[in-house]
Amino acid sequence: MTVPLGAYVAVSAVLFFIGCAGVLVRRNAVVILMCVELMLNAANLALVAFSRKYGSIDERGSVFVVFVFVIAAAEVAVGLGIILSAYRNRPVVNVDEIHQMKG
Amino acid sequence: MTLDVIEPAVFAILSIGVIGGGVAVVMLSRITAAALLMALTFLSMAGMFVLLGAETIAAFQVLIYVGAITVLILYGVMFTKFSDQPRALFFQRQTPLAAVFVAAVAVPVVIVGSISFAGGPARPGGGDLPALATSVFTDFAFPFEIASVLLLAAMVGAIVLTKRDDPEEAAARRRR
Repeated sequence: MTVPLGAYVAVSAVLFFIGCAGVLVRRNAVVILMCVELMLNAANLALVAFSRKYGSIDERGSVFVVFVFVIAAAEVAVGLGIILSAYRNRPVVNVDEIHQMKG
Repeated sequence: MTLDVIEPAVFAILSIGVIGGGVAVVMLSRITAAALLMALTFLSMAGMFVLLGAETIAAFQVLIYVGAITVLILYGVMFTKFSDQPRALFFQRQTPLAAVFVAAVAVPVVIVGSISFAGGPARPGGGDLPALATSVFTDFAFPFEIASVLLLAAMVGAIVLTKRDDPEEAAARRRR
């Protein structure tokens, strides 16, 4: 591994902030879901990189990444379900136009 | 050693793929293109996992993210309608101020992160599947089972959320 760990951490941080900016700036709910996936993936990269550098022999970091995969898959399935059922009630996907759940 | 020369170059290409794809997801107004470029980001990320010596994770990444999640997102895009104004939810008038705040948080994190951990590897990479499997099925066996229950719950939840209510069935429920 000639590439230093810091480079992986930097890429991970940049991708995380890109995803964060996307969640805050975009209006389409599907794109917001995509940006959340980007953030989860950035966290995965940091986990694997740190596991390579500091981890013991039993791959704890990779185990956490596997659990993040599970969470990400569940999140996309339920998130798209919510988006589609909201879309069926009123055909909008922009999150600032979905007023129904406002109290 | 040739690998020492190739590895930084491969890393550079992959990081361009990761960050370029991520920027494209945020900037592009065509959502289908954004979803496909998100797949590029995930694929480059899988390459980075291979560089780190985590081949099993890279395989999972390709299967789950590039395969399943991208296809799911594309289905979501096809079932919904595009909008004309893709951006500007919160930052409508505060754009310069927001940019200053983002830079103030993001730049130190990136710089400190890249400086603090500028060391070499602790151990050589290798096949990570035996170690990963041993961990998952011994120390993390209970979280693994919980994760499978979570997946089942998410599956049932997604079906319930998207199921179209049969009008006759709904009428029968109202009568009861």
